[in-house]
Amino acid sequence: MAKMTLEELRNLRESKKKEMSQRDGNDKSAQIIIGMGTCGIAAGAKEAFDAFLDELNTREIMDTKITQTGCMGLCFSEPTVEVDVPGMPRVIYGNVDEKVARRIVKEHLIGKALVSDHIFDKPAADIIK
Amino acid sequence: MHATLCDLITDLVQNSIEAGASEINLKVEETQTNLNVVIADNGKGMSAELLKKAKDPFYSDGEKHKHRKVGLGLPFLFQTAEMTQGEASIESTENIGTMVRFRFDPEHIDLPIFGNFTSAAVTLMSYGFEGNLSIERSVNGETYTVSKNELTEALGDLNDLESLTLMKQFIETNEEEINKRPDGSNRSVQSV
Repeated sequence: MAKMTLEELRNLRESKKKEMSQRDGNDKSAQIIIGMGTCGIAAGAKEAFDAFLDELNTREIMDTKITQTGCMGLCFSEPTVEVDVPGMPRVIYGNVDEKVARRIVKEHLIGKALVSDHIFDKPAADIIK
Repeated sequence: MHATLCDLITDLVQNSIEAGASEINLKVEETQTNLNVVIADNGKGMSAELLKKAKDPFYSDGEKHKHRKVGLGLPFLFQTAEMTQGEASIESTENIGTMVRFRFDPEHIDLPIFGNFTSAAVTLMSYGFEGNLSIERSVNGETYTVSKNELTEALGDLNDLESLTLMKQFIETNEEEINKRPDGSNRSVQSV
């Protein structure tokens, strides 16, 4: 693709916005929070980030936000990802590589079922303190 | 040590974000013989005493994680510099800001691969902080710049899937442009 300019970027965003508003409005969006501390980066959180971005686009689940946070204190199970889908419990997944990221999109975001073999419970209260 | 230099850069820019900087400048310049990186911020800075401690892998201020005894971001940088006969330095003034600089030899056998700069830039731009991040990127004299402020102005909320996707395309096409060889082919863009 030829080099994109800021002007083209602005125009593309505008046309996408129009497309979006023509679709059925569901203002509650899912959120994916990726742990991007030193530990997360070292374990491949950026690859998970790219996989989420790609899979969500392929499956056209546009009403989703991908945000980042620092280390969640679960360095042994990085990359860790917290997934918040309206109407479902907030879940922390561990060891989220590219494959698991794609599974989370398919099974959790679309299928509304938890990816059980990668779930982490929140750490016990005394650990958080 | 980080697997790629882009991971190292991401980690170091996050230090600036966590120092509460409102302006962060990242310069990443590749030439045949040098990789030059400068990360400058106007965050809270460090005293000379604290700066010394920050280079110690067994020091952390404990603010993020009370019981943690390690801080590996800067030590990873100095380790990489030492292993590859590169240069790395950090200067900091309390309440003024911090500047991290390094220069590596791209041909050194022990240097980690460069990695994917587009991913690094996209994750940094969408990290979710108040301030601005300006990136100046160049490969063999070809340059582009991009800033978080202008991206936000063009795209709105940078964490939206649409914005993330367009931002990635924007940075990717600019990367392709500066990585073009004179004969029209592209330098292989490594992804790990």
